[in-house]
Amino acid sequence: MSSTLSRRRLLGLAGGAALALTPLGCGGGDGASTFSQPKGEVPKQYAKRQRVVVWYPYTGVPADAFTRLVGRFNESQQDIYLEAQFQGTYDEVAQKLAAGLQARQIPDLCVFSEVTWHKFHLNDTLEPLTGYFDNGFSPAEYVDSLIAEGTVKNEVWWVPFGRSTPLFYYNRDMFAKAGLPDRGPKTWDELREWGPALQRVSVGGRAPKLHAYPQVDGDWMFQGAVWQWGGNYSKGMDVTIDAGGAVAAGEWQRRLIHVDKLAYMAKSPRVDFTNGLIATLQDSTGVLGALDKEAKFAYGAAFLPEQQAFGCPTGGGGLAVLAGPPKERKRAAFEFIRFAAKPENAAQWSIDTGYLPSTKAAQQTPQMLKLFTDRPGYKIAVDQLPKTQAQDPVRLLVPNANKSIYGGLQKIYADNQPAQQVFSSVAEELRKSAESVRDAVARHS
Amino acid sequence: MTTRLRRFGLYVLLALVGVVMVGPLYWLFTSSLKQPGEINTFPPVWFPTDPRWSNYAEAWRAAPFGQFYLNSIVTTAAGTLLEVANAVLTAYAFVFLRFPAKRVLFAVLLGALMVPGHVTLLANYLTVADLGWINTYQGIVIPGAASAFGAFLLRQHLLTIPTEIIEAARADGAGHPRILWRVVLPLSRPMLITVTIVSLVGKWNDFIWPLIVTNTETMRTLPVGLLLLKNADGYVNWGAVMAGTVFVVLPVLTVFLVAQRYIVAGLTQGAVKG
Repeated sequence: MSSTLSRRRLLGLAGGAALALTPLGCGGGDGASTFSQPKGEVPKQYAKRQRVVVWYPYTGVPADAFTRLVGRFNESQQDIYLEAQFQGTYDEVAQKLAAGLQARQIPDLCVFSEVTWHKFHLNDTLEPLTGYFDNGFSPAEYVDSLIAEGTVKNEVWWVPFGRSTPLFYYNRDMFAKAGLPDRGPKTWDELREWGPALQRVSVGGRAPKLHAYPQVDGDWMFQGAVWQWGGNYSKGMDVTIDAGGAVAAGEWQRRLIHVDKLAYMAKSPRVDFTNGLIATLQDSTGVLGALDKEAKFAYGAAFLPEQQAFGCPTGGGGLAVLAGPPKERKRAAFEFIRFAAKPENAAQWSIDTGYLPSTKAAQQTPQMLKLFTDRPGYKIAVDQLPKTQAQDPVRLLVPNANKSIYGGLQKIYADNQPAQQVFSSVAEELRKSAESVRDAVARHS
Repeated sequence: MTTRLRRFGLYVLLALVGVVMVGPLYWLFTSSLKQPGEINTFPPVWFPTDPRWSNYAEAWRAAPFGQFYLNSIVTTAAGTLLEVANAVLTAYAFVFLRFPAKRVLFAVLLGALMVPGHVTLLANYLTVADLGWINTYQGIVIPGAASAFGAFLLRQHLLTIPTEIIEAARADGAGHPRILWRVVLPLSRPMLITVTIVSLVGKWNDFIWPLIVTNTETMRTLPVGLLLLKNADGYVNWGAVMAGTVFVVLPVLTVFLVAQRYIVAGLTQGAVKG
């Protein structure tokens, strides 16, 4: 040590240190199956309780509502403290959880979207929940179509929380001026017949268009259209977007845009609707509150139009418990699921956020009945709910399937390419990507 | 006559670039004062006649922006200081020291320059988690403490310093620390400021890493805080979102405007000397 450290020796040491540091993080190994909790802060009065962490993606109004719900939960408990941690969008939550699983530091409870939960289910990182239900609380309390979506092989993995579906909206003022009935169209063909009458209505010197299709994420609404035309994105994991209903629906929309000139592709159909550029809109039930604030006219809400059949997909979020944490933490996490499903809590959460009530009893609570009279459109969304269904597997399970499909729709909407040609190439893409998850899906169904 | 015409053309071009640069900023500031109904209308509202200052109050109330400011200032200041210090020492070593495998190491440095940040995201997260630094200031700062870009930029500049000056200093008995502090740094002021600003802006605006590495609102920075203003599905008051964006942009914009003449000098300096 007394000899002066030569430069060469110093460099050698530094290099060695660098090498020694590299494997950091790769260690840990699978031997120790302990998952630590993400760090955070516990208020003093809750310091002695079992701490449980939930990761959530809500911002703005739903974030406030979620914080209040968690606050009420903590007040109702004796031994459990739930800490809610915001982690970005649904996709960012999933991304961070994937990193957290590698670093073995994960929350106990997590809010997933209808797409993101599948990835974690397929990788066996979610806890099966059926055993946690008891006499006081059964899965049958949830709306059937919603709980069915999170149930695989008779096990509940993902319970509905903050769900929404598409809904049909129309400009009542325009409909009145055009001499049309004050209701949504029964079929898409009926809507098309209404086109010429609406063309005679003038808004700011221009005739409004009948309808607009979204530029991005159009694949969610189009899932409904595919069913309405009697088709499917996929049957099981077998892609069927290049045949039957999907192609017919795509062709119908192409004609409405490029031949009839009654519709177009819009950056945000909702903005165009509130500005009176289009007479009808298909959008999430979640925008009801926004329409109340933004539309300067009376709007009506209706079930989605049918064609050969009715079809409406579900969307939005749900809660799942992670498999990694020790039993007592998972039990504590489930207590929040139980709390959130209580009629008054489920109703309040829906009223605060605009999401649909996910339990049957919540729909009968006094505060919900009051909302039905205050906001009639919301009642229609709730009435439509039992008729909705989970999206076709390929859209939910195949990585980036949504992007492939709405990319295809853009080619139909903007470039006037034939639906058959577009969906043949989309199908090819989907079949290729489906291979990457096929084995995992087969193991889990 | 032709020079006048050229001058005129130049001014038109300048005005065009100016509009492209300033336009979005103008839109940001005016939108932050608009009523909710004025945001998404056509024809657009170019000037809000009835400014809605409450957008700012609404944005400030929507999330703990005071805490976000503090966190952003602490992590950006510490991060920039470390990154610049690191870059200076690295560049100095590559230019003025003799050591084995210098070329290879420099090639490695250049290689690091090419690696996009997303590639190292997971590796950094695992390391930081192992160190127990999740949700801490050091967790946000340390992984970004070294940058190949800054080191590379400074090295290129230091190469242009005439060796005679260094030798003269050495002849006067100055050691490495003294040469660095008294000779090299004063000669590199524009480039140093450039590297500092680039680093500062990068850290101030960084979004994905602070989001991933922090869990609670008490540790979040401004860009992450902005996310809290935007309602994913449903009603968004864009006026308040724009007001929140002004909170984030204003400090860097000020720093940039004060320092920009040095930046221009710094970026072009190497070009002239070759």
